Amino acid sequence: MTALTLEGLSKTFQRAGTVVDSITLRIENGEFFTLLGPSGCGKSTILRIIAGFEEPSGGRVLFDHRDVTREAPNRRGVGLVFQNYALFPHLSVARNIAFGLEVRGLSTAEIDRRVSGALDQVQLPTAGGARVDQLSGGQQQRVALARALVIRPELLLLDEPLSNLDAKLREETRAMLRALHAATPVTTVYVTHDQAEAMAMSNRIAVLNAGKVQQVGTPEDIYERPANRFVADFIGRNNIVNGVVRRLGQGTATLQLPDGAELTVEANRRAPGLELREGGHVGVCLRAESLKIVSGMGLFKGVLTDVEYNGAARSCVVQTGFGKLRVEVPGSAARLSNGEAVQLAVSEDAVHLVEG
Amino acid sequence: MKRLVLVLLALVLWGYVVGPMFATFQQSISGEGGALREYVRFFDFHKGAQGEAMIGSLLISFASVITSGIVGVFLAVLLNRWDFPLKKFCRVMVLVPIALPPLMGVEAFVLLYGVGGTFPQVLAQLFHAPPNTFALTGMPGVLLVHTLTMYPYFYLTAAALLAQSDDSLEEAAYSLGASKTQTWTRILLPMLTPAVVSGALLTFMSSMASYTAPLLFGVDQVMTTQIVNAKTNGDLRFASVVSVMLAMISIFFLVLIRIWEQRAIYRTQSKGGARRRHRITSPFAKAVVFVVALLSTIFLMLPIAMIFVLAFSVNGSWRTAPLPSRYTTHNFVALFSDPRSWEPIRNSIEMSAIAVIGTVLLGVACAYVLARMRFRGKAAVDIAMMLPWALPGTVVAINLITAFANASVFSFGKVLIGTFAMVPLAYFVRFSPLVFRSTAASLAQIDPALEEAARSLGGSWFYSFRRVVLPLLSRGIAAGALLAFVNGAGEFVATVLIYTPRYRPLSIAINDELYLANYGTAASFGVVQVLLVVAAIFVSDHMQEKDTSPQFEIRNSKLS
Repeated sequence: MTALTLEGLSKTFQRAGTVVDSITLRIENGEFFTLLGPSGCGKSTILRIIAGFEEPSGGRVLFDHRDVTREAPNRRGVGLVFQNYALFPHLSVARNIAFGLEVRGLSTAEIDRRVSGALDQVQLPTAGGARVDQLSGGQQQRVALARALVIRPELLLLDEPLSNLDAKLREETRAMLRALHAATPVTTVYVTHDQAEAMAMSNRIAVLNAGKVQQVGTPEDIYERPANRFVADFIGRNNIVNGVVRRLGQGTATLQLPDGAELTVEANRRAPGLELREGGHVGVCLRAESLKIVSGMGLFKGVLTDVEYNGAARSCVVQTGFGKLRVEVPGSAARLSNGEAVQLAVSEDAVHLVEG
Repeated sequence: MKRLVLVLLALVLWGYVVGPMFATFQQSISGEGGALREYVRFFDFHKGAQGEAMIGSLLISFASVITSGIVGVFLAVLLNRWDFPLKKFCRVMVLVPIALPPLMGVEAFVLLYGVGGTFPQVLAQLFHAPPNTFALTGMPGVLLVHTLTMYPYFYLTAAALLAQSDDSLEEAAYSLGASKTQTWTRILLPMLTPAVVSGALLTFMSSMASYTAPLLFGVDQVMTTQIVNAKTNGDLRFASVVSVMLAMISIFFLVLIRIWEQRAIYRTQSKGGARRRHRITSPFAKAVVFVVALLSTIFLMLPIAMIFVLAFSVNGSWRTAPLPSRYTTHNFVALFSDPRSWEPIRNSIEMSAIAVIGTVLLGVACAYVLARMRFRGKAAVDIAMMLPWALPGTVVAINLITAFANASVFSFGKVLIGTFAMVPLAYFVRFSPLVFRSTAASLAQIDPALEEAARSLGGSWFYSFRRVVLPLLSRGIAAGALLAFVNGAGEFVATVLIYTPRYRPLSIAINDELYLANYGTAASFGVVQVLLVVAAIFVSDHMQEKDTSPQFEIRNSKLS
């Protein structure tokens, strides 16, 4: 097992410019770590640098204390699962899985033993003789995983492995990945743009944007305490309302919100490094599920313009004097209809402040 | 390893493709009377002077583009838009001219339409006119050959475009109020523009390169014959001048074609819903379409048919009748039993096979390097690789003659002229682009992630190439190699300038037999060539079809 360190990693392409901008990260031994960000944020490039398919323009990649920055991909001992699986179409399922073992010159008996073990692990015990194109997308995905794991990699790299699966399969595969990681906790770097996936799988997440790390933390950290406006906007269903600090009290801050509303929150509910001063502008994050529709005494007033019912919850859009707010109420709540005048209450312990 | 391949590749391309071209250029500007003396001669447009050749070449090429374009697009529309009996048969048969062998194919035209040919004789008898009143000679003859051998450049792309076009386009035009004529002029014909442009470029380039047709129809005023005549007269410097000029025109067209190929192609997007063909309701119209299609098909088939008829004729049995008078199977028996007949076939197979080994090594290496590696000068390598495809065979021969008249590193310190090596070398240079193209097409369908997967699993670069890339490429390589082999086995244009009598190749043997008016023997050689080409097309089509599984197609369309 290996810890992975990225030190000041940068990558500049001739056409695309700087895609990865001095990234420093340490991924612990046995950790399930996710690089999360919108497309074009550089997360796949980082993965390709770790795997050895791109040479960084600056910085180092360390496996434990071994500097692998200039090492060829085939000497790194990294298991890689591609977005489109990249199974060899001319080889059977078993031969695909055996490929990495054959390269290592293992005995036939040992190869057979480990291939069938790997097939069991991904719950495809009888698929060994099949041709790759006879498998469904989900099965191909599991073969790709088996092929990467069977070489007992120092690191497992997963590049958007679920993006080509339908919703139900995605959930199943997520569960399987979690179970596999629990059984053999190989250090894993997972790349995705899907925040729900990232939250569901990871020990820690790095949120990336424009080649820079925005925040590193546990799913809870990132969800509840976003480090800046970008993270707050990217994760969860946040409403970010512009506010002004009116008064700073003993560990509290009183915020002037648009529409004249005032809100007092604990001053430590803010992004790390954010300084509050009276008269300063802040972004007030109000998560959709921390807003409540109340009949009176609400902080904001507005009109319901859209309701989406998905069984567990109702997602509502409320038009207020300063813009639209998203509100999520339990599906069991009373029926709501468009055009209704509503008031919104805020549970203060769910408010979070970011830069203005 | 990768670097080594790149360096080797650059050396080979320089040594055998680009370098020889420069050698020819050097030759064209060195000697008495200043660098430009021979160029001045070339550009002398006075009547009867050398300048007539370039004008002749350009004129015949423009005319060929127009006539081939008309025939190709006409056939594409005729055979793809309407339903009529025997349509499938016609669609296969109009592609048969692709299988016409280089020398014997043109000779078949001469024997059909030229002086003393079948048609002039029949027509003269019919109209009681002096013989050869109706014989085609000179430029019109060349134009006929070009038209009937080059229309596939238009036909193939136009037919493909029409096949994937959707009736809903037309219906949309009609529903928007367009008349039938407006629909044709504003929707259907403009849709064929890509086919017309690429067809025109290819036809122009091929017409400029054409040597056999002018030779057999006795046209001296084109650049290819001008080169050969100058070379035969020992004026290698002037031959070089014309080669350089012809090469420059060809390279210009090569660049145009590459630019045209890289431009995005807009396809009609249609999903589901059966496209119905246009049923013709009027029986009269139906009969007209049927008759026109059938007559066109028969007309196009005539040269090939002529070769087959002649192959069964007794040598010397054809004097003053429209067709030979006596028939035999002896020519084919002799082909395999008479060592004098068999030897040229064996020589050609040997020379072509040797060349194919080289074409595969160069073509595959080049395709791989261009598709997978990042380096400076990529465009230059691409152009250098495709250069011999654009260069007329005559020019390739002159290049090799000037480059290998003296010993050099690339000839391993030997003078190659007059040795066995020249012909395989010329085939290697001329037909490497075929393997390159077909390999590159296969390679474009292979996801680079496959190689990366192999690498990350621990395979070295070479191991991954051997175990993953090569097996997936094998069909593309084989198809290209087969094409190169068949082309080499029939090559005439470059061969005639560089072969040595000790190792007489097939095309030269045919030429000699034709000179002796042994049409039977010559045509039986021709039949062997036709069968080789047909077999190659069939096999390589078959191989490529398997490559295009839906999965590959999707991946391909993503790339484009």
